[in-house]
Amino acid sequence: MKVVSTLRWLTILAVVVLAGAAAAWWYFSPEANRVTMHEAKISDLKPMVRLCSMDIYEDVPIKGHIGPRHIFARAALNGTVTFDLEQLKSEERGDTLIVTLPPEIVEIYESTEPGAYKVIDTWNENFFGSNHFTTEEENTIKSKVRDNFRKKVYAKGYVKRARAEARQNLTSMLGGLTGKTVIVNDPTPEGRYR
Amino acid sequence: MNARRYISRIMVILLAGCSFGACSKNDDAAQIYYSEVRSVDKLALAQMTISKMATIDDIHLEDAEGARQTAAALLDAVKIGNRKAAYSYDTYLRAFIDLSTLTPEDVKVDETSRTITLTLPPVQTEYLGRDMEIREDHYRVTGMRSDIDARERAAIKEQMNTVLKAEVEEKPEFRNRLIGQAKTKASAYFSSLLGRDGYNVNVKFREGN
Repeated sequence: MKVVSTLRWLTILAVVVLAGAAAAWWYFSPEANRVTMHEAKISDLKPMVRLCSMDIYEDVPIKGHIGPRHIFARAALNGTVTFDLEQLKSEERGDTLIVTLPPEIVEIYESTEPGAYKVIDTWNENFFGSNHFTTEEENTIKSKVRDNFRKKVYAKGYVKRARAEARQNLTSMLGGLTGKTVIVNDPTPEGRYR
Repeated sequence: MNARRYISRIMVILLAGCSFGACSKNDDAAQIYYSEVRSVDKLALAQMTISKMATIDDIHLEDAEGARQTAAALLDAVKIGNRKAAYSYDTYLRAFIDLSTLTPEDVKVDETSRTITLTLPPVQTEYLGRDMEIREDHYRVTGMRSDIDARERAAIKEQMNTVLKAEVEEKPEFRNRLIGQAKTKASAYFSSLLGRDGYNVNVKFREGN
């Protein structure tokens, strides 16, 4: 009778130990990730001399559709307005340096902040239709969003403000460095949308 | 009578709940879409493009490590078809100097030796951003496997971004190469700008940041 009882307890103990070991094996084993990350590579490194007078950060909703398929997402965009100083046209008249502000370069990127791009919903107007978007379709919608954002940067007067500030900054930088009186001309104070 | 009062109370509570819900929804919308326009006075001197790639593939039994991967590999083995893809995109890192910290004392002119010594602010780096689009370098989803949808691609991009930033932090050569390029460019540019009147130009950089 005592032997049976001991055996029963030993069996229970063995089961508990085995279950614990299996749980520990599961818990401490690496995640099952089907995504493999490859090492980051430098694909370009270019020198430049660009005066940057404005940084823009904006969260934008992305609403788009291809036929009956719709997508709604949110993206955080980074924009900058810069001026290529290597294209700067200058002329010296005695102690005065006269320069012309070059065309603005408006660059728009997706932010690298965490959660910068989130797909909130995809759906199809047809009940049994697929809500799948190919990469190409999604990219097309995103590039339209970027184009609209670029238009908005001009329409809201950000470029006008950036050019006015660039004039001021350039006057101060060149004046301080050369010790000359600097006049910065701006042929397109509103900027030129391209 | 009591029943009517009871129903009207429920209606009031429901309406109040709805209007409260609407308010909080508006607040959420205001919080979700953030916007900032900042005036800066920077001189960008170099830009680095960093490419990152990620691949999606089933876990093979021979490569599986531990319980979870073995279970996933077994599950993948019984699925009909393949699910393989490769995605990549570029991230842009910029080196700049903050011109707002440049003072008249940073330019020293020695007329006897006809030398100008310019001490520029420290070169800093920042992420300019990344491509909005993602490149699909490979895509092969066959049989009864599910397509890789927009939500999954966004999640992969997020994961790639986190790993890329960690790599840039761990490997100083990314920033060192960028800063080196920026310093070379700044020296060449300011030497040509200030050396017009026959001065020798010595460009230095303040340390910091």
